[in-house]
Formats: sequence, structure tokens, C-alpha cells
Amino acid sequence: MALATNYEREFQMISDVYEKSGGDASRFLNKEIVSVIVSGDKLIGRNTVDGVNLKFRQIEDGIELWIDIEDGVKLKQPVHLCTGFLKERGRQTILIHNRCGKNSEVKFLSHCVFPYGLEFTHKMIADTYVGEGSKLSYEDVHFHSDTGGVSVEAIYNTRLSKGADFGNFFNLTQGRVGKLRVKMIVDLDDEASAQIESKVYARADDEVHITEELNLNGKHSSGLARTIVFATEKSRATIINRAYGNAPYSRGHIECKEIIKGYGVNVGTVPVLFVKDEKAELTHEASIGRVNLKQLETLMAKGLNEDEATEMIIRGLLR
Amino acid sequence: MLELKSISLERDDTNIIKDLSAVFYEGKVYAVLGNNGVGKSTLAYIIMGLESYRDYTGSVLWDGRVINGLSVPERARLGITLGWQEPCRFDGITVKEYLTLGEKKQFSIEKLVSTLDVVGLPRDYLSRTVDSSLSGGERKRIELASVILMEPRLVVLDEPDSGIDLMSTNMIQRVFNSLSGNGTTLIVITHREEIAEMTEEAYLMCGGNMLKNGDPQEIIAYYRTACDNCKHVNEPLKGVN
Repeated sequence: MALATNYEREFQMISDVYEKSGGDASRFLNKEIVSVIVSGDKLIGRNTVDGVNLKFRQIEDGIELWIDIEDGVKLKQPVHLCTGFLKERGRQTILIHNRCGKNSEVKFLSHCVFPYGLEFTHKMIADTYVGEGSKLSYEDVHFHSDTGGVSVEAIYNTRLSKGADFGNFFNLTQGRVGKLRVKMIVDLDDEASAQIESKVYARADDEVHITEELNLNGKHSSGLARTIVFATEKSRATIINRAYGNAPYSRGHIECKEIIKGYGVNVGTVPVLFVKDEKAELTHEASIGRVNLKQLETLMAKGLNEDEATEMIIRGLLR
Repeated sequence: MLELKSISLERDDTNIIKDLSAVFYEGKVYAVLGNNGVGKSTLAYIIMGLESYRDYTGSVLWDGRVINGLSVPERARLGITLGWQEPCRFDGITVKEYLTLGEKKQFSIEKLVSTLDVVGLPRDYLSRTVDSSLSGGERKRIELASVILMEPRLVVLDEPDSGIDLMSTNMIQRVFNSLSGNGTTLIVITHREEIAEMTEEAYLMCGGNMLKNGDPQEIIAYYRTACDNCKHVNEPLKGVN
């Protein structure tokens, strides 16, 4: 890891929060692991290995980053990305261009930590291309302050070549959400497959908007888009899951589960399925309601009170 | 001691439980035997105080005190629990977390492993998830293990062998031994004679009521002759004692 000068303290602070959010900061110091650390609008550390090329440039309020994985590169360790913002107010923009060559395998672990945000906006756009026969997964874990003053817009545009396999996982279950807008769009070529999933725990007056979209453009392509939201108190959530079966033998399933607790919640979901080929097959599943009563009573019959039982069930679901 | 006094429960103008009375003494192993649909599981839910089964009439007494108004966790705190016929799936929760209620209860690994051994599961199940990756039978075994770890004063085991292969009656016997060894009162809901044979006293249930009670062998003999081919299911013949 090459740390930019004078950023040791900032690195330490970000590392501390990164660990709180479930990350392992020691990975950043491992020279065999590809890693990138952004604090505010500065790139404060980076490391790469053979077969992975990193480029970046400063932009207004943030960083634009190119990660190029060469053909046939199979990384044993995940690429670690950490984006932090340690001030209370401000704005951060992160633009990421991932390109994964043919027959490669890579996993991204991204942590976004905004522990002090009072009036803070984070915008991230990740454009990802996955080459033929490659396997790429991108897990994005957010850790926000408890103030509700963080606004996040996260957009993931992904294009999968023939036979590529892709996973995109967004998780915001620690701290307050604030205002969240997530958009995941995946275009799939022949025999490509994708699983995209968002898990969010909304409290107080948090606002959540999630759109997940599968464009099954290739023959025998398949995809699963799933959203799980636990909405409590006066939080609001709108979830849109879309699947387009545009090619023969394409198969897609969309699923939304919104679990609610509290009289002030306001949640909704809109499933959208469109088929343009008679051999395509799409399905959907959606539910909105309280925590499953039988699950609750199972745990309560073992001695947990209702709140403890709810917490345990939800923690499991959002994991 | 658990006493049920004149319990009745109606659903859609049908009496599911009809003026039912029974007594279960501390430390004994009871069977509640009966065909499907006679109200056995409903009785289990009434004893546990489940939300949808609280509108019964009559009294549930625990150590002489009426507990009709107590919720599920309140009854659990008294030492009453339920082993479900079809245990739920819990996405994202490991067997270890399930058994320790998310670490709320502290058990040594040795204790957890030895309890899994009672129900015939190896140690590596502790890291498995209690979701659809486990079969119904495996979840049932885990449910029984969790009941053993609770060391309850009274447990209602609703069809403890359902979903478990017929060859596993030895395992069921081990579960009963483990529980009764701790002084737990067992109420075993079953429609299988082999399971009722493992108990000390049996009730025969029919039409939402207790038709007979006594020695399990006598109750089983009656059940075999009268209930197996009964043409009056849930309409018990008058005059049976």
C-alpha cells in the first residue's frame, strides 16, 4: 500500500471506521491485495498487483478511478475499496470504471464509511464491463452516521459478455440511512448470469429508493434481482424491480421483501416484467408486512421478548 | 403443575376445542394421542399462548395461578415452551445463533455439540444456516436440540417425530430422556402409537376434547381398535369412558 504523504492519521481514522463496518483494515497494508482508499476528494492510498491496472484522476469533489483487470487474471484476494468522508458537511463524487477481461475472476469488497455526516452527499457511479467467461462480484457495504444527514446516490451500470457471471450486493444496515437512492442496471449477453441484491435497514424518517433492473438480452441468460428492506418508525421506501426477457430461453426472477414495524412507515414496491420473446420466462415475488408471526413466536417461546426476536430475525435477513 | 379447566375455542362457528380439561403433573411424560384434525396442535398453541389462540374460554393454570393473560414470552419466562411440528426457517441465522438465541444464552461449545449429538447431528451443523439449505427433518432435530438447551419446566412437543424418518425413534427416546432427566414435564402430541408408548401417561383426544386418559398401553389399545378405523372422527361416541 502506497500511502500519500501526510495522510497516515486520516488513514487510521478511516481504518477504524472501516473495521466498525465489518471490514478488515489490515488488508490495506498487504502488498498482495489490490486496494484503493479515498478520503473526501483525495486518493490517500492504493496498491495493485500484476494483471490489475489502476488509474485515477482528481475531479470536482472526488475521484475518478479506472480498474482494468487483464484477461485470465484470477485474483485470490478481493479488491478492497474504501471510500470515507470524515467531515460533517460536504459532497463527494466517486466515478469508477471497472473493466474485466476474458476468463478472469475478481471480487470487489467496497466499504463506504461516513461516520460523522450531518449534511453530506455522496454520489457514486460504477460502470462495469465483464468480459467473456469472467466472474465478477461487487459487494458494497455502507456505514453511515446516526444523524440521518447522509444522502447517497449509488448507480451501478453493468454489461456482461457471453457466459459472464456477476453479483452486485448493496448493504446498508448500520447507522441511519438518511436519504438513499440505489440504481442497479445489468445488461446480459448470451449465457450470462447475474444476481443483484440490496439490503437496507431504514429507521426514523429515512428515505429509500431502490431500482434494480435486469436486461436479459442474450440467449440462455439468467438473472435474479432481490431487495430486502426493513422499514421502521416513519421511514419511507419505494422499491422497483424490473426484468426484461428479450431473448429466447432467458430466465429472470425478481423479488422484493419489505418488512415493516411501526405505525408511521410508508413503503411500496412495483414489480415490472416485460417479455419480448416467447421462450423467455420471468417470475416475481413480493411481500410487505410485519415480521413473520410464527418466526417471532418461535423465538419468543424460547424466552426472547418481541423486540429481541424481531432484531434477531431482521439481522439474519439483512446479513 | 399445568391444569387446563374447561377450555373451549371456536373458529368459524366450529368448536375446535370443546370444554377440555386435563392435568399435567411436574416431571411426568404425557402423550396426547389422536387422529389428525382433533385439535391437538391447537391445544399446544393454547398452552403456549400464541397470539392467534388467545381467544379461548376456560382457564390455563400454572402452579395454581391462572395464566390466560400471559403472552408467549411471559409464559416462556415461567418455564413453558413449545417444540413446533414444522419449525420455521430463519434466513441468515446459524444453528449456533439459533441455539444460543443470538448469544443471549451462553453455552460452551462442548454443551452445544453434546446436545446436537442427542438429536443425531454432528458438530459442523453449528455453522450451518437455519434456512432452506436444511431439510425439514434437520430443522426438526435442531428445534428439539434448542428445547433441550432451554431446560424448560414444561414443554409441549408437537409431533416430535414428524419429518424425521421412522428409524429415528431411538433419537426421540434420547430427547425424552434428556428432557425428563432435567425434571421437565413433557406433553407429547402425537398420532403415532410408538411415540405414545414412550410416555408415562396418555390422553386420547377426539373432537376437541379428552376422550380418555390413563396408562399409555390401554389408551393405545383403545386408539388402535376404535380410532384407527373410526367412522365418527371428531364426533366421539357418547358413553365412552
